[in-house]
Amino acid sequence: MVDFTSLVNVIVPLVAGVLLGFAFRNRKRVDLGKVVFGAIVVLIFSMGFGIGANGELLAAMPRVGFSATVIVWLVLFFSVVFVLIARRIVRMK
Amino acid sequence: MIKYILLALGLGVFAGYLNGNYGVVVEGWVSGYLFNISLVVLVFVMGFVFGADKEAVAKLRRTGLKVLVFPFAVALGSIVGGLIGGVILGVNVVGSMAVSAGFGWYTLAGPLVGQLFGAELGALGFVVNFLRELLTILTVSLVVRIDRYVPIAFGGATTMDTTLPVIVRYCGSETLITAFSNGFTLSVIVPIAITTIATLPH
Repeated sequence: MVDFTSLVNVIVPLVAGVLLGFAFRNRKRVDLGKVVFGAIVVLIFSMGFGIGANGELLAAMPRVGFSATVIVWLVLFFSVVFVLIARRIVRMK
Repeated sequence: MIKYILLALGLGVFAGYLNGNYGVVVEGWVSGYLFNISLVVLVFVMGFVFGADKEAVAKLRRTGLKVLVFPFAVALGSIVGGLIGGVILGVNVVGSMAVSAGFGWYTLAGPLVGQLFGAELGALGFVVNFLRELLTILTVSLVVRIDRYVPIAFGGATTMDTTLPVIVRYCGSETLITAFSNGFTLSVIVPIAITTIATLPH
């Protein structure tokens, strides 16, 4: 997660990308798959780096790990159930 | 794809751990600059692919404001999950609901829950929300087979940045705006939800 001060890091490139993509929608397509793949690997590596360097998080793991695992799976399960119900109600395909 | 993600994550955690132990001052560079640069590149490219995809734009027009239903369903589902988890584990139920209202934003949920409910639940808030982000990335290729919106429900607040690239890669470019608006709305709700839940008797 980014904090709100760096929200600009997401919104500016997103809007710029959508607008440029829309402007060039009729041009010849370039395969950006390799760029996306490389950037995802770098992103996940740097995210992992932040986790490994976070002593507070690593220290809390053994103490609350079991409770956290139970809660997170329940949270994920009910999030999915509620989203699927909501999709049916609003008839979103 | 998933094996490269696991490898990158494992190597990153190991390198970060060594860095933390030996005090080499590269953490700011890696988890600051490198993280932000790769995120900016990814979000730009995904925005570009979305903008250039005529079908994706048309689908979004048809869906319209319905995408706003997602974050509220995810918020409600997460808090219910926290409530049931608290009852099963015999921990402070209100605290467990507050923990689950972090929606994956562990850097905020950990300290905020810790301040309101004490250090133990703060640590729980940290780990639960960190696991949510991690499980979203690790399971995306599997859970997308249930429904292509399941990874967005898994990701919670993280779908506006850290898990957005992986979700769009597996769920398709037409899910970009749904995932982003879901993450953005939930990020706005996190501090409000946690502090509101903390006002309940506990």
